[in-house]
Amino acid sequence: MAAIPPFDADLLRRYDRPGPRYTSYPTAPQFKPGFGPAEFAKAARLSNDDPIPRRLSLYAHVPFCFSPCFYCGCNRIITRDLARAETYLSRLVREVAMLGPLFDRDREVLQIHLGGGTPNFFSPTQIGELLESLNTHFRFSQSPARDFSIELDPRFINKGDIEALAFMGFNRASLGVQDFDPAVQAAVNRIQSVEETQAVIDDCRKHGFRSVNVDLIYGLPRQTREGFGRTLDTVVATRPDRLAIYSYAHMPQLFRPQKQIDESLLPSAEDKLGLLQLAIEKLSAAGYRYIGMDHFALPGDDLSVAQEKGGLHRNFMGYTTHADCDLVGMGVSAISHIGDTYSQNPRDLPSWEIAIDNGRLPTWRGMQLDADDVLRADLIQQLMCQGEVNIPELEERHAIDFGLYFQDDLARLVPLQADGLVEVSATRITATSRGRLLLRIIAACFDRYLHQAQAEPARFSKAI
Amino acid sequence: MSPPAHRPRHNPIADDGDALHFCSTCAFSDACLSQGYDKSALMDLHVLVEHIGPFHEGEHIFREGDEFNAIAAVRAGTVKTYVLDATGQEQVLGFHLPGEIIGLNAISEARYPCNAVALDTVMLCRFSFPKMALLATRMPGLQAQLFKLLSQDIGKAALLAGDYSADQRMAAFLVALSRRFAQRGFSATRLHLTMTRTDIANYLRLAPETVSRVLRRLQEDGLVKVERRELEITNPAGLDELARAVLRS
Repeated sequence: MAAIPPFDADLLRRYDRPGPRYTSYPTAPQFKPGFGPAEFAKAARLSNDDPIPRRLSLYAHVPFCFSPCFYCGCNRIITRDLARAETYLSRLVREVAMLGPLFDRDREVLQIHLGGGTPNFFSPTQIGELLESLNTHFRFSQSPARDFSIELDPRFINKGDIEALAFMGFNRASLGVQDFDPAVQAAVNRIQSVEETQAVIDDCRKHGFRSVNVDLIYGLPRQTREGFGRTLDTVVATRPDRLAIYSYAHMPQLFRPQKQIDESLLPSAEDKLGLLQLAIEKLSAAGYRYIGMDHFALPGDDLSVAQEKGGLHRNFMGYTTHADCDLVGMGVSAISHIGDTYSQNPRDLPSWEIAIDNGRLPTWRGMQLDADDVLRADLIQQLMCQGEVNIPELEERHAIDFGLYFQDDLARLVPLQADGLVEVSATRITATSRGRLLLRIIAACFDRYLHQAQAEPARFSKAI
Repeated sequence: MSPPAHRPRHNPIADDGDALHFCSTCAFSDACLSQGYDKSALMDLHVLVEHIGPFHEGEHIFREGDEFNAIAAVRAGTVKTYVLDATGQEQVLGFHLPGEIIGLNAISEARYPCNAVALDTVMLCRFSFPKMALLATRMPGLQAQLFKLLSQDIGKAALLAGDYSADQRMAAFLVALSRRFAQRGFSATRLHLTMTRTDIANYLRLAPETVSRVLRRLQEDGLVKVERRELEITNPAGLDELARAVLRS
């Protein structure tokens, strides 16, 4: 995919419609309550019994935030009560102790990710305790390729924190920025200075972090070309290895915090597209490559390298180079992907706490993928990561006749072909350079559930 | 409906026979076809046969000590045979693929000396043994085939005795599986492993971690490619070479 795709306002305007982001296929709304602790344990057992069991990727969710950002659509709890971190950690550690024995000891942990919420709501000492417990109940890989990453809110990083994290083995950080424009920061209730952000990035570099990612959002209230342009210039000057430019989706009926946002201050659809165009121009000029969806990376970053070699993968943590791991999620709302199953912990804290207190695995819902799900997941994964599907290889892997199997899906692609988003040949489906900013629209053509029931149109955010 | 969107899997599933034809994987098809038996002889053999199943994953087909009255040929799926040792530990004796016979080792005792369990969805052809023995006295081809099957069964056990490295054992296991599949007309290079790594380890008398370590090594050497339960032999000659000492061919 490499070069950043050209911007096409007309096309983006026409395809600005709701659709899943495909961090998983099937998407989370398909998970069902019938999949509980017993099914989770069985999936773990089966995964241990592959000839070469997959290595592990661990995700821990820290739901707390010190202060509410109004744009947020994540699962989080606003509090300044640090005692809550301690009680949450004590349960998290018990969950780790329940999960660890389900996985054979020779399955190395190649990736750890702490997400939230705000993982640095935990003190470095508490994060250290969590890692210690993970290390006791799982076996960490000693490979230099292992990734230990953490999402950080730079506003709550103290001197010495980054050094402590590096000492524990963390080597990747993702920093929330969104926008440095003071007017925007006030409108979304996130006041964060360039200096404190820069200090955290510098500290990460100084202490040997392999990669620093910065998150920006376009489409926020009071955002302007001038202000966002300055933010982009400032951010690009710090040379983050990776950049994510997310589209703000205003869905206050789904995400309560967004009710605080004055809709009249939101940029028009036209202005929003202008912001994306600006971002694309500036990142292109600065030498970044397009990874897919909202993600960009410097040419030397692992993601860029993996994309060239075809080893790129997409999961709940975004894009990753660890394609062959089973994902074990812990903490409230965390999602696991083990073998051909998905499962999720309760999204509300009390339900998760009760399960842990009763010594039960907290699995709340999930699903066992059938052959059709596995096939479509494979196809969508290739589209989202490589921007291309190799048809003969897919036919070989899944023993299908592509043209017959995907008759209806291919028919849905026809208008997209006419609009120059995608090219279809006998051997390949390829997102054109015009279509690469709209990968999720192309992927959605192959989503069986989306076309089975169009009942809940407002479930997903707009594509742009 | 439109033409099938699914292509035939390279996984073994035997087709059904009829009154005049055996299932393509039948262990006894040789006995008749190569000997030029006529239709009536085929019919004689067919009346001994009863199609049974499906047995689902984890379901037992017979248990140690059950009275022996029939041998069975696997039509589809994989059957694992095993015994429990004095300490209750499982010892895997073998894996039986479509076209192969289970229960042969019961002939001398009148009771099954082991357990047989389905590893996936298993269909069987059951042959009443007393009737078959009687028929064999009239059909020399059938008798010869029985002897051949018996001696193969004994030979298989010898495969894993002896002082071989873990890599050699694993290679021999895979080459033998590949040959057995190929014999029945299935792919010799793309195998779907229905047995768990614990079972493979137990059968090869290795630790489960060793099974994975060895497979990873074979993969790094370009001999095989493993994706979950699917195994592709990418360098058959190389794997044969490694297995040669064990298989002696």
